[in-house]
Amino acid sequence: MIKTVDLKKTFVGRGQTVHAVDGVTAHVKKGEVVVIIGPSGSGKSTYLRCLNGLETLSSGHIHVDGVDLADRKTDLNKVRREVGMVFQQFNLFPHKTVLENLVLAQMVVRKRSRNEAERKGRELLKKVGIAEKEKEYPIRLSGGQQQRVAIARALAMEPKVMLFDEPTSALDPEMVGEVLEVMKQLAREGMTMVVVTHEMGFAREVADRVLFMDHGKLVEEGTPEHFFTNPQEERAQLFLKQVL
Amino acid sequence: MLSPLFFDVWNGIVNKDLKNWSWTLLTLLILFAMGAGLWVATKKIDYNWRWNRVPQYFLYHNENVKTVPFDGRVTKIDQAGDTATISVLSEDDDVQTFVVDAETVRVEVNEDLFEGDSLGSTFTWRIGPLLHGLWVTLWLSAAASLFGLIIGLITGLCRISSNITLRQLSIFYIEIIRGTPLLVQIFIFYFFLGTVLDISRIVAGISALAIFAGAYVAEIIRAGIQSIPKGQMEAARSLGMNVPQAMIYIILPQAFKRILPPLAGQFISLIKDSSLVSVIAITDLTKSGREVITSTFATFEIWFIVALLYLLLTSVLSQVIAWVERRLAVSD
Ligand SMILES: Nc1ncnc2c1ncn2[C@@H]1O[C@H](COP(=O)(O)OP(=O)(O)OP(=O)(O)O)[C@@H](O)[C@H]1O
Ligand SMILES: [Mg+2]
Repeated sequence: MIKTVDLKKTFVGRGQTVHAVDGVTAHVKKGEVVVIIGPSGSGKSTYLRCLNGLETLSSGHIHVDGVDLADRKTDLNKVRREVGMVFQQFNLFPHKTVLENLVLAQMVVRKRSRNEAERKGRELLKKVGIAEKEKEYPIRLSGGQQQRVAIARALAMEPKVMLFDEPTSALDPEMVGEVLEVMKQLAREGMTMVVVTHEMGFAREVADRVLFMDHGKLVEEGTPEHFFTNPQEERAQLFLKQVL
Repeated sequence: MLSPLFFDVWNGIVNKDLKNWSWTLLTLLILFAMGAGLWVATKKIDYNWRWNRVPQYFLYHNENVKTVPFDGRVTKIDQAGDTATISVLSEDDDVQTFVVDAETVRVEVNEDLFEGDSLGSTFTWRIGPLLHGLWVTLWLSAAASLFGLIIGLITGLCRISSNITLRQLSIFYIEIIRGTPLLVQIFIFYFFLGTVLDISRIVAGISALAIFAGAYVAEIIRAGIQSIPKGQMEAARSLGMNVPQAMIYIILPQAFKRILPPLAGQFISLIKDSSLVSVIAITDLTKSGREVITSTFATFEIWFIVALLYLLLTSVLSQVIAWVERRLAVSD
């Protein structure tokens, strides 16, 4: 589903060059749940943002469902419809009600009728467990509820892949569970997911594969059992000691 | 401006909030003392206040004298209510009728008339120069605001565009306009562009005001757009919207709410700045005031009235904006 080959992303600014992603080669199969972990600043977010074209690549290739993002002729807007993204800060549209948050892109991008979009929106709100809030504005929702709306908003576009960038990091501890629950359900339904998270429990339970990044490089890759019990690389061992 | 003051006093009385109430009373006292001082000062210079001459420059009763266009004789005067119908027989045996106000009839039945004699008059209400000037100022400012908003929106978007030329051009325009006096711009528009492009003084005046306002609006809009968190654009793009769609549906509606107060300030300034177009002989409120003064010599009264009319326009506008702001606040 996603193939990245020798992906590099460098930021040049204020006289210094940052190699945020430095030669990552990794693939994600259809229906697979891949969890990316690594210390802060290791380039996890940047890698994820490259996957849906929010960052332009410096070099290398990304193929999403066969489409090459590095190709100048690729219409990135078309790619992004197929790749849903959930942000750490939710990024709901504050001037729209919850339902409108779900409806807008369906109508504007997918050209669905209002009726159809609302039906789909309500269905998804029910699925993430906040059907009764459809007329509220995002600001009046708790963090956990907002993040669930954000997940529903991405799902409304019927993406083939869902990207999550630390979806629970901005949440109060008591709300982390409800969001993870929605993500687990998605995984069970066979959604292809790439998740950046510090929730090791989630990685263990749900991930098919774990990628460990450090300094922009993919340091270790493997199944959760392998990664959590028997990591090969010293840096991964060190990191696990700190977080577990 | 004054209404909040009265509101405070009223509130003080109703809520028995004595402390605030007495402070407001002090404010009113000071204002009253200043007014009294001015009054005494004008007494000293022996100025003859003629407020009674002012109303006619808002609205006046215009007398229309009806005259006979030929020599003839009055045959009949029919009175019906307030109007009278006078029938006149000409020398060619031709009867013509004239309608005038009943009280103004100046002829009698069988009276012989010569060409040009007056029969009576009719009255109509006419708009005086001050009201007319107010109207000109109003629509001039409205047109300039509208065009200024459009110019400002386009320039503001260019200002943050990724295209370097667009960015440089918009900065060039903004810097030139903000770095030169409006009065000079108006002269350039009128004398230079007006001559080169052969445009009328009204078009020149509106363009100068619109282009002036546009530069300020552009900066307001740029700041408004940049104040929206980056995540909003990213969320919109990640849903597959292109940049124009994200701007129209996500960024601009949010930015608009934030820029409404500074935008309102800009348009209020524009109403006031529009008084400068009187220098290119556009008969706006200020020019009308000057014209009325030359015929009445009621200099003080007219300038006070003109100021009051500007105050009226600007406070109505700020009330309207405040209302819109309250409407938009539902999602906060
Ligand atoms: N827009 C940018 N401009 C310049 N440097 C950037 C930019 N975005 C990220 N970086 C740099 O790239 C590196 C990787 O950042 P990234 O956000 O991908 O790390 P991360 O693994 O997601 O960290 P965290 O766990 O803190 O979210 C960091 O050194 C960061 O400072
Ligand atoms: Mg990150």
